[in-house]
Amino acid sequence: MGKVQLQISRRTFLKSALAGGAGLTLAAGQLQPALAAPGAETTTPWYFRGQIKRTYSVCDMCPWRCGIIAHSVDGRVFKIDGNPADPKSRGMLCARGQGGVSFMYDPDRLRSPMVRTGERGEGKFQEVTWEEALDQTAEKLLAIKEQYGPESVAVFGHTSGEFWFADYFAQAWGTPNAAKPSSSLCTSPREEASNLTFGFPVGGHEPIDWEGLRCLTLIGSHIGEDSRNTVMQDFANAWARGAKVIVVDPRFSSVAAKADYWLPIKPGTDTALLLAWINVLITEKRYDADYIAQWAQGFEELAAHVAEMTPEWAAAITELDAGLIRTTARVMADNLPQSVIMPGRHVTWYGNDTQRMRAAYIINALLGAYGREGGIYFNKSPYIEAYPHPPFAVAGSAGGCSAEPGAESAELPLGPSGKARADGARTKFLRGATAMQELIEPMITGEPYPIKALIVYGTNLLNTVPNPERTIEALKKLDLVVVIDVLPMEHVAWADVVLPEATILERFDDLWTVSHKTPYIALRDQAVEPYADAKPAWWMARELGMRVGLEKYFKWETVEEFVETRLKTIGYSIEKLREEGGVIVQKGKPYLADFKSNSPFPTKSGKIELYSEELALAGQDPLPIYTPTTEPPQGYFRLLYGRHPVHTFAKTQNTPLLHQLNPENDLWLNAGVAASMGIKDGDKVYLENQDGVRSGPIKVKATQRIRPDAVFMSHGFGRNAPQLSLANGRGASDAALISRYALDPISGGAGMRVNFVRIVKEA
Amino acid sequence: MTTANSVMGQTDRVRTEEEKLLRYRVGQRIVHAVLATSFLMLLFTGLMILWQPLTLWARDGTSGVIHRIGAVLFLLVPILYLIVDRRGARELLVESFTYDRDDIEWFKHAGRYFIGRAVGMPPQGRLNAGQKLHHAGVVLMSATVVFSGILMWFAKGNLGAQGLALAASIHDISMLALTVLLVGHLYFTFVYKALSAMTTGYVPKEDALIEHPKWVEEIEHQQTPGN
Amino acid sequence: MAINAFLLDISRCIGCEACAAACMTGNELPAGTQYIHLTEQTRGEFPTLAGSFKNHRCYHCADAACVKVCPTGALYKEDGMTRLNREVCIGCAYCTDACPFEVPQMVNGRSSKCDACASVTKAGGEPWCVRTCPSDALRYGDRQEILAEAHRRVEAVKARYPKARVYGESEAGGLGVIMVLPDDPEVLDLPANPDVPLLVNTWQKVVQPAALGLTALSVAVTGVAAVIARRNHMQELKQLHAQQAKAAPEERQE
Repeated sequence: MGKVQLQISRRTFLKSALAGGAGLTLAAGQLQPALAAPGAETTTPWYFRGQIKRTYSVCDMCPWRCGIIAHSVDGRVFKIDGNPADPKSRGMLCARGQGGVSFMYDPDRLRSPMVRTGERGEGKFQEVTWEEALDQTAEKLLAIKEQYGPESVAVFGHTSGEFWFADYFAQAWGTPNAAKPSSSLCTSPREEASNLTFGFPVGGHEPIDWEGLRCLTLIGSHIGEDSRNTVMQDFANAWARGAKVIVVDPRFSSVAAKADYWLPIKPGTDTALLLAWINVLITEKRYDADYIAQWAQGFEELAAHVAEMTPEWAAAITELDAGLIRTTARVMADNLPQSVIMPGRHVTWYGNDTQRMRAAYIINALLGAYGREGGIYFNKSPYIEAYPHPPFAVAGSAGGCSAEPGAESAELPLGPSGKARADGARTKFLRGATAMQELIEPMITGEPYPIKALIVYGTNLLNTVPNPERTIEALKKLDLVVVIDVLPMEHVAWADVVLPEATILERFDDLWTVSHKTPYIALRDQAVEPYADAKPAWWMARELGMRVGLEKYFKWETVEEFVETRLKTIGYSIEKLREEGGVIVQKGKPYLADFKSNSPFPTKSGKIELYSEELALAGQDPLPIYTPTTEPPQGYFRLLYGRHPVHTFAKTQNTPLLHQLNPENDLWLNAGVAASMGIKDGDKVYLENQDGVRSGPIKVKATQRIRPDAVFMSHGFGRNAPQLSLANGRGASDAALISRYALDPISGGAGMRVNFVRIVKEA
Repeated sequence: MTTANSVMGQTDRVRTEEEKLLRYRVGQRIVHAVLATSFLMLLFTGLMILWQPLTLWARDGTSGVIHRIGAVLFLLVPILYLIVDRRGARELLVESFTYDRDDIEWFKHAGRYFIGRAVGMPPQGRLNAGQKLHHAGVVLMSATVVFSGILMWFAKGNLGAQGLALAASIHDISMLALTVLLVGHLYFTFVYKALSAMTTGYVPKEDALIEHPKWVEEIEHQQTPGN
Repeated sequence: MAINAFLLDISRCIGCEACAAACMTGNELPAGTQYIHLTEQTRGEFPTLAGSFKNHRCYHCADAACVKVCPTGALYKEDGMTRLNREVCIGCAYCTDACPFEVPQMVNGRSSKCDACASVTKAGGEPWCVRTCPSDALRYGDRQEILAEAHRRVEAVKARYPKARVYGESEAGGLGVIMVLPDDPEVLDLPANPDVPLLVNTWQKVVQPAALGLTALSVAVTGVAAVIARRNHMQELKQLHAQQAKAAPEERQE
């Protein structure tokens, strides 16, 4: 019996069991409770935390500008909803609009005026007071004006405060070199096509008379992905009512999935398709002959022009089936005049875009849509006086929705020292708004004359203007770079002076006026105090103006005073506007009948100009022609870019809520092509363009939804801005890969779908 | 040795002079302690999510942690047994699944044993038939409760509705069996005053003669010099 | 008490994610949490394709599996909607397995899902997602009215989608989100039969109550029997000692 038998008496057992149990329990108690109390999630909902203040304003998350109601409690905005009285939002909002709260409370926002301390581009800044920042800016501007003339200052502007810098300040100061990316980098071809054909621009939104529409044709126009609130509403209703939908797109977009016909067209060949459609409408006598007889001129020339442009001719070019081309033309015609090709929005594709838009608008005319119910209505500007400012030093040509109306003049407006705008208007291109991308050259070469200063307001410069390497070259050469923004975008690092702006709900601002079927004026009221030391653009423009000798334009002290003066001209006040739901809706003149015996087409002939004299005189094709664009080299894909429904341009990728819904873009690559390249869905690849520029890594989306000859990505990713803590480095940058563009000789638009990429599997 | 007054009123003295037999070695007693403690941890924390009125105690997640600690301890019991008393582990497994004619007879009279009449039951070995069945039940149900428990611990979210229902049902039914077995185990320990077996390790020979005469014989046979 | 329902018209939904965003901001959801997920769906091969969006969110089943398996009652039905009281949730995650649509997510250790904007609707408002949807793909209101609208829409869209149907009229006892589907549910990644499986019902209605009940019964029985049995055993021992004393008087020592 060698083993020692340990005696455990009952007492000992019980004691140790208790001790052990107690020990374990204590130990368990020391453990952090495995689940924290629900805490934040069960805090009182914001709408029960206090008095809710409702403020009317206009959303600034994209350029569509829906009327909104902001709900705030104790000085913080919690929810933004559409304003039911607003003709654009009608009480609803898209994902970006809903992300507006997250946008304004982005912790990465610019907080204070700053001046550069290191080399330009290093991003080294020192926080200063507003006085210091504005004084410095004014001093430098005046010095540059002294030496080079006021025209040597360029002003780029976008977003809902663009008026103050790109229009008001620029014209008061005396520079014709004010530009908005929404013109030559977006809509110029459609504006000029419309001006040439009908005598008026498309304007802001596309004036389709949705309620009666029976057939919609989209060339591109990715409704639902470009997330235009009102368009989604109207489209859904028209579609549900049974309207026919024809989508022409190299990609099976979200709206293509709802279409009756999807034409997976070869990129760059849309004009051939449009001409073949005109051919069918005319040869099969399916166009609205009475309408054309009454309202159009140049029909004979048109008919002769398209005689050989058969569906078979187009089929070979577009890689579409000729029968399908014929069928879709007939479907369009079957539904006229409630049959429309959407006027397009971002149409700067291949450098021949004005001609393409002309072809589309000619079809709309052949369908008899203009001025007809269920077709395309005529926009009318709301009636309200501009603020009675002294005459500007130069007439503006920046274009865009907020500019004071002005017709295209035969002679370019001259600045105070006799210089016209430096973007090559009338020489490099025929007509249209100032071409932003053409102002970069003068900053580098000094031709036709030097541009020495650049004020960038709300424009994501390096993600917007094609060939960003060239833009950086220009930034290095300028004497003064002033950046006004909300977030530390890439170009902020290149500024000499950075001015932080208050977002739309943190400021009162000028009225938002919209030309429309029901023209309207919307209030932009202040909901909460500005973030940190941010200020509104109107205040900055005024403070700067006062320092550079423009006092006479800034006799009003606050923008409320400015607005009150305007509202008085139509018998309103800010208070009255607040009480009446934030929107004044006026009567429009949408249809032919509203014009009585007058022509609604302010062209020279008073008619729709199917054949354009003006183009002929300028040495351009007076009728639309198809010109092929460059083909991708062997082994390369055409780079197509577009939008994702929760993002706006390169603006929202850092917004926490929107970032969560879509943190990075992916590369749409035809599934068969991917398989043949040994690439799996989800693999990360790099892209290299024809000039050796690289971007990535980006996740591949191997999909059936795109042609084999093209790739697609949504714009605004692949960021190189370390202070954008969420967006930096995610996805690839189409902007970086757009090192080339094709200049449209009519409108000055920069066609950007002329870059090609090859896929590189490793860095 | 007994005295004249041994039967009435001097039971203490009788006890101190009683002969004791070693029933459970220290290793076995430690293993039993770990098993008992971990099982109780599991039972009570499990009840806290089985019976709705108790679930409020589970809200801060501590019971979940305790359940998992208990589960690990419970899982380690067989391994611990093999380490500290391999012989005991083998005996347990072999004996619990081996039944002789006496065991069958015992089952026929299990009812009277239940109500406290052990004297006169058919002769039993170290483990009586009821104990064998209890141990067999514990071994089998422990296996199923552990298996279903591991599924719910590591595959939660990937089980699907039917997978969860199956795993949880097996877990519930296994625990029902184990708990009823525990209740019985406590019952019989109380009725037959058997606690000393697991505290000191020893039982009075007298009790052993009544309950496990074949085991007593075995021990005495082993203890006889020359064997 | 009103029984309400959502209408979710998949034929209209264009995947704009306004609903997902409105829900996140209106409900102040913590970063990383979403109650609504939009997923693009593609069928066919280039260029013969069909597409749709899966609009994934709680479908508020009348016979809700999550409510059934929830041990605490944190998940419960109210006004036709499935609500969640996170303060009561113990994080057991049964709901994540039980749900035929894989809706509940564990966030910070507790279940997380749409509660149909309970406090908003009780204050007379519309759920955030419904209010903002630009495509009129979402509605909320009396269940009978919603059902009628769903059937109307299905009829209207049959010309485009011959297989269009209402989903949620009777599935899982009737869903609180009545859907207009352009195609069969399985094609759209929805279960054809989301009813609570027999095994789950058995577990909840038979196994669990039996486990508790039989345990309690065994405690009660043995509790009573213990007193009796212990007495019996003490008696038989006394008898035994008496017998033994009688049988061996010569072993006594004076």
